[in-house]
Amino acid sequence: MTIFYLIMIALAIIFAAARGLLGPTASDRIVALDSLTTITTAGLVLLAFFFQRYIYVDVSLVYGVLSFVGVLTLARYMEGGL
Amino acid sequence: MEWMTFLVIGLIILLIIAAVFAITQKDLILAVIGASAVSVVLSILFYILQAPDVALTEAAIGVALTTIIFVITIKKTKRYEE
Repeated sequence: MTIFYLIMIALAIIFAAARGLLGPTASDRIVALDSLTTITTAGLVLLAFFFQRYIYVDVSLVYGVLSFVGVLTLARYMEGGL
Repeated sequence: MEWMTFLVIGLIILLIIAAVFAITQKDLILAVIGASAVSVVLSILFYILQAPDVALTEAAIGVALTTIIFVITIKKTKRYEE
């Protein structure tokens, strides 16, 4: 059953990467990167459950906080601030 | 564990596509987005290869710090490359 979840998350990563590769404007690609990092956070939690090592969840915790900071910087630049 | 091999091969293909996207862009913001996507995929790859501390450092450096420094540099110079 975990393999089914991993296949669904891999499909979501493929669709987000396709949007980032084909997106006409820079804003589309920033949103695609944001969704890619969010899907990655969920996938890391699922892989931690699969490997039965619950200390691995800390990686996805740090990942969620820091990917938010990176996308926030890019969005602030697109707005014209910074 | 053959599906794990397929997962690693798919992630490596995605890594190569993102790296080629990052180095062929004339718009430097899109190049920064590509470099950030490379960091995301590389972090998942380190995580699958049972190195969560390396994945943690890669997420912290690649997603947040590199993106912020490059965006500040682009803000102080030009956005488009001749």
